[in-house]
Amino acid sequence: MDYTKKIIRQSNYWYNDGLKKARIRDMSGAIVSLRRSLQYNKGNVTARNLLGLVYYGRGEVVEALVEWIISKNLRPKNNLANAYLQNIQHSARGLEVINQSIKRYNQCLVYCQQNGEDMAIIQLKKVTVSHPTFLKAHQLLALLYLHTKQYAKAQQVLTKARKLDTTNEITLRYMHELTQIRGKKAKKPENKGTKKKKRKKETIEYSLGNETIIQPAHRMVKEIAGRFTLMNIVLGMAIGAAIVWFLIMPAVDESKSDKRNREVLEYSERINGLEAQLSAVTRTLDSYRADSADSEEAVQTAAATAESYEALMTASEQYSSGSYTEDSIADLLLNINRGALGENGQERYDDLTESVYPVACSSNYESGTASYNVANYDTAIEALSKVVRMDESYDDGGALLTLGLACLDNGDPESATNYLKRVNELFPDGEYGEEARTKLDEIAAAASQNTEE
Amino acid sequence: MLNYEEELKKFKPSLEVEDIEDAVYQEDLSDMSDLLKQVMDQKR
Repeated sequence: MDYTKKIIRQSNYWYNDGLKKARIRDMSGAIVSLRRSLQYNKGNVTARNLLGLVYYGRGEVVEALVEWIISKNLRPKNNLANAYLQNIQHSARGLEVINQSIKRYNQCLVYCQQNGEDMAIIQLKKVTVSHPTFLKAHQLLALLYLHTKQYAKAQQVLTKARKLDTTNEITLRYMHELTQIRGKKAKKPENKGTKKKKRKKETIEYSLGNETIIQPAHRMVKEIAGRFTLMNIVLGMAIGAAIVWFLIMPAVDESKSDKRNREVLEYSERINGLEAQLSAVTRTLDSYRADSADSEEAVQTAAATAESYEALMTASEQYSSGSYTEDSIADLLLNINRGALGENGQERYDDLTESVYPVACSSNYESGTASYNVANYDTAIEALSKVVRMDESYDDGGALLTLGLACLDNGDPESATNYLKRVNELFPDGEYGEEARTKLDEIAAAASQNTEE
Repeated sequence: MLNYEEELKKFKPSLEVEDIEDAVYQEDLSDMSDLLKQVMDQKR
C-alpha cells in the first residue's frame, strides 16, 4: 500500500474517533483526535471543519473561525465551512458580544494575577451570562470560587462546565478537588454533630459518579406544597364565588321576580274585583237616587195638583159669591197649574179666566201704568207682570212694553230686554214694536259704552 | 490540594477577533506527508 494512502486512512481513522467523541460531547478528546487527523492529513477539510465546530461548542469562537478560514482556503467551494462563516457574518452583533466577553475574560486573568479575585469573579459572572458556552470562563470562575472557599458556587459552575465538555481535564480535576474537600469535611469529628444532623434534615446528599449532589430535603417541598394548598383554597373560593354569582344568583333573582309578578297579578285581580264591586254599588246608588227623585217629583206634582184644585175651588166660590173683586180672584187663578188639573177642572178654570181676566187685566194695567208714570216702578212691575201673565198681548203689546220700560227704569236691563224683545217678536210692525226696538238699541249702546269704559 | 497560582498559570488569554489573521498565519499546517518529504530530502 502506498504510504500516502496509509496516511489518509490514518487521518480518517482519527477523524472518525474525533466525531464519536464530539457526539458524546467529549470535546477535549475530540480536539485531540481531530488534531491528530490533521497532523496526518492537513487537507482533511471535514476533520478541520469538525474541529472548528468543537471549538465553537466550547465557546472558543475565534479558534473555530481560524479553522474554518483555513478550511475555506484549502477548499474554496463545496465546503461546509462557507456556511459556518456566512452564519457568523450574518450575526455580527452576536460576534461582537462574544468578542467583548473574551476581552473581559482576558482582563479577568490580569485581575487574578494582581490579586483582584473579587473583581474577577464579578466580571466572570457577567461573561458566563453573556457567553454561556465559554468553557474557559466557567473553569476560571470555578477556580476562583474554590480559592475563595465558595464550594457550593464552585459546584454549580463546574456542573455547567462539565455539560459543555464532559472529559475536560481541568473540570474533572476541580470536581475531584471539590469532592475531596467535602470528604474531609464529612470526616471531621462529631463536634458539629448537632449542626450536621440539622443540615442532614434540611438537605439530601448523594453521589453521582464523581459528583456529590446536595439538594434541599422535604422542607422546600413542604413549603411548595403549602403554597399550592393555599393557592388551591383561594382558587376554590374564587370558583365557588363565580358559581354562586353566575349560576345560583340568577336562579334566586328569577324566583324572586316570579314571586313578585304573581303578587302583582293577585293584587291586580283583587283591584279589578273591588272596582267591579264599586261600580255595581255606584249603579245601585244612582238607581236609588233616581227613584228618590221620581218619588219626590211625584209628591210635588200631587201637592201642586191638590193646591191647584184648592185654589180653583176657592176662586170658583169667590166668583159665585160675587163679593170678591176680579183682581183678588185673578190672583188665585194665577197660582193654579192648569196642567195639573183634570179635564173638568180645566173647563172650570177656562170659564173663570174668561170671565175674570179681562176685568183684572184692565184694572191692573191702569194701576200699573199709573204707578210707572209716577216712577213707582216696583208697584208698576208687580201689576203689569200680572197683566202679562194673564194676557201677554194685552193692549197690542202695551202691557209688555210698559213692563219692560218699568224694569229698565228700575235698573234691571236684562228683564227689560227680555220683555222688549217679546214685544218686537209679537208686534214687529206696530207702534209698540218700533218703540221696543228703539229702547233695545239704547240698551245695547249703553252696554257697549260701559264695556269700553 | 490545588495550587491556585499554578492552576492560574494554566489559563492563557483567549484569542480575540482582532487576532484571527495572525492566528491563521501562525497555524502550523505541516502534516505527515510534509514530514516524510522533509526526511526524504535530508536522506538525499
